[in-house]
Amino acid sequence: MENLDFLLQGFLVVFTLENLGATLLGCVLGLIIGAMPGIGSLAGCALLLPLTYKFNPTTAIIMLGGLYYSNMFGGAFSAILLNIPGDTPAIMTTLDGYPMATAKKRPGQALLTSNISSFIGGLLGMIILTFTGPALANVGLKFGPVEMTTLLLFAMTSIGWLVGENPVKGLILTLLGMLVASMGMDTLTGSPRYDFGNIYLLGGVPFTPFVIGIVGFSQVIMLMEQRNIAPKLVTDKLTLRGSMLTRRDFKRLFLPSIRGGLLGTFIGVLPGAGATAASIMSYSAQKSFKSEEPLGTGAVEGIAACESANNGAAAGAFAPLLALGIPGSGTGAVLLGGLMLWGLNPGPLLFKNSPDFAWGLIASLFIANIVALAVSWGVIPFLVKILSVPTKVLIPAITVVCIVGSYSTSNSMYGVTIMFVSGILGYVMQKFKYSYAPLLLAFVLSPMLESNMRKAFIISRGKVEIFVEKPISLAFVIAIVGIMVFPIIRYFLIKKGFIKPKAKI
Amino acid sequence: MRKGFLLIAMLCSAALAAPLFAQAGFVPAQNIEWIVTSSPGGGSDIYTRMISDIMTKQNLVSGKTILVNNRTDGGGEVGRLTVSRVSMPRQADHTLLTFNSGDLMPMVANTANRVENFTPIAVMAVDKQLLYVIPSAKYKTFAEVIAAVKAGQNVVIAGSKGDDVATYKLLVKELGITENQLAFITNNATSDAITSGLGGHVDLVMSKPAAADQYVAAGRLIPVLALSKTRFTGNLASAPRLSEVGAYKDVEYPVWRGVVGPKAMSAAAAKFWSDVFKAVSESDAWKANYIDKFKLQPFYLNYEEAKAYMADYQADYLKSIGK
Repeated sequence: MENLDFLLQGFLVVFTLENLGATLLGCVLGLIIGAMPGIGSLAGCALLLPLTYKFNPTTAIIMLGGLYYSNMFGGAFSAILLNIPGDTPAIMTTLDGYPMATAKKRPGQALLTSNISSFIGGLLGMIILTFTGPALANVGLKFGPVEMTTLLLFAMTSIGWLVGENPVKGLILTLLGMLVASMGMDTLTGSPRYDFGNIYLLGGVPFTPFVIGIVGFSQVIMLMEQRNIAPKLVTDKLTLRGSMLTRRDFKRLFLPSIRGGLLGTFIGVLPGAGATAASIMSYSAQKSFKSEEPLGTGAVEGIAACESANNGAAAGAFAPLLALGIPGSGTGAVLLGGLMLWGLNPGPLLFKNSPDFAWGLIASLFIANIVALAVSWGVIPFLVKILSVPTKVLIPAITVVCIVGSYSTSNSMYGVTIMFVSGILGYVMQKFKYSYAPLLLAFVLSPMLESNMRKAFIISRGKVEIFVEKPISLAFVIAIVGIMVFPIIRYFLIKKGFIKPKAKI
Repeated sequence: MRKGFLLIAMLCSAALAAPLFAQAGFVPAQNIEWIVTSSPGGGSDIYTRMISDIMTKQNLVSGKTILVNNRTDGGGEVGRLTVSRVSMPRQADHTLLTFNSGDLMPMVANTANRVENFTPIAVMAVDKQLLYVIPSAKYKTFAEVIAAVKAGQNVVIAGSKGDDVATYKLLVKELGITENQLAFITNNATSDAITSGLGGHVDLVMSKPAAADQYVAAGRLIPVLALSKTRFTGNLASAPRLSEVGAYKDVEYPVWRGVVGPKAMSAAAAKFWSDVFKAVSESDAWKANYIDKFKLQPFYLNYEEAKAYMADYQADYLKSIGK
């Protein structure tokens, strides 16, 4: 229980007026930044980093840690209410969050589901971080290029669960996602790919504007088309009480949140995977568990799975950052840069040399979790009012948000151009009933898969055997084969009458 | 009458002399835009903000504000192209671009942009690499690595982009082996290379002193080869040079950090900025908070020296990639 002692000492560090204030400030800023599309935790931390030079390092990291963490709460707001992910880990939240808020007319409950599952996922991640911190980071190290390749392949097979009713459409979009992701500089050799002689395309298609376009701006075009016919949504439950979850809702969100939190924490610890990959994987995994309503139609389970996973990942990412000085994500890299500027040396000695700092940060995450839950719960009645804004006002407002969000990723019109182009693509996809989930999943995962696989082949000198020689990757290979073979076996078993076919939901 | 004539003559001569004066002594007359082609928090960004901070604090830019602008589009090429094309004389004199060997390499390899399209202002420091192993590694010294490679074993180095790749190519050439015998994995950042090294997924890690410092102090990385013509100091002193390992020449590929302006920048402004950077390079804040902290080697070159240095470097690099 040595770690618990350290954690209590950490709480002592945090319980000063200054540090509590920093936590609160960080949380509120994080919620706002998270809710604004395009400006994610990466940009938020980078923008606020210079402000903290004059702080003492503990206060500074507590503020940025709170910001990073509560960002995961805020990202869900616009995903649920506007169908635009506020930050990239919230992409998957749109799939169930928006239908639940609009089609099911339960916006308050959708927001609260996301808040509570974020809280559960984050709490799990922090508990794991507290007790296993450095050890957890060492587990992450075991995942080299070979292991990551099989893990990512495993995640890619889960696209099978996301393609929906028409596998051909799903496959087309998966391949399109891979193709778009391969544009830009090849990470291993530095040679340009599919740049068509355009200097902007040399840097590839930027992630955030692409997502805002596919998911968000396509929505604007849809709204324009329906502005005269769409019946106005009437939300009469604007009170806190009106947005309360029923006991059954809570039961439904609890198990997916626990699973999502555990999975998210694990993915967060792995080098270079991050919160977006975590929420995608958790959502796909939820497909294989029982949900009361089918996912994608506004199911509580769907929101819970991705929101808990991205908060778990945010907490888990602190393990390699604090224990080894390895950033798990872009935001982690900015925080790491901050540590150096404040005069701390991030690395394996941080826990030993600056225990106040490391444990103070972990303790502040616990507090940030509670503060973020309280604040985001409190603002639900105000947020829900967005849904009663008339369409004619909503269209220009969302357009502005989309433009600002995509401009801010690289401070140039390039992002805005990408956003418009992918918005039109997204609109066409919706018109022809293509789901964007496989496209975005392939876009996120395939660059990681490519670079890890090529690294693995450099290590093995091109031998495929390397994937079954290492125990961790062997386990994933078996799981992949299992997933692919299972439907065939089941088909035969049903045919022979050993098991009964499952009733269609 | 004579007095009036004298006055007019004096005024005339003053008016004639004024432009000459202005040319000889450029001083910033508007805010300075300093473009960095890496994202906030990255190595180049820290370098830029450190210098602009020192310039502002020591009042080297006559009270004007320095606006650091991160332009990351197109892998940084858009920012570089924009700066090279600034043509308004006044704007050109107030535009700076952080420019390192790691920026030059992809620029000349992938685009038609060249150093000649800029006005080099200064080189501030150089960095060099080392090779490291973990305590449980298969090969504990570089001599063992060479022996294993010669015996047909598959040995892998993990490193970062640009300069690391160039250093690796020099090393392979000097050892007289092929890139298949001693393979190299290009990572996006040195931290990724260190991660795969710590996990035991590769045999050797290539890193500059700063990124590996904490791991060396904690005993998790051991320096085994200095890619330099002189040994490093401090906790890196134990790493031998290549010539100490066997009958080879030392391998060194200095990685420099510099600053350039647009091609249209006036000679007076280039001289002014060159002097300002010299003052920064001599300041205590720079030595303590940058050079010593990140274990670089101070290496100041003024605008004329930097111009020749960067041009030579570009010519060598172009030759090495066969362009």
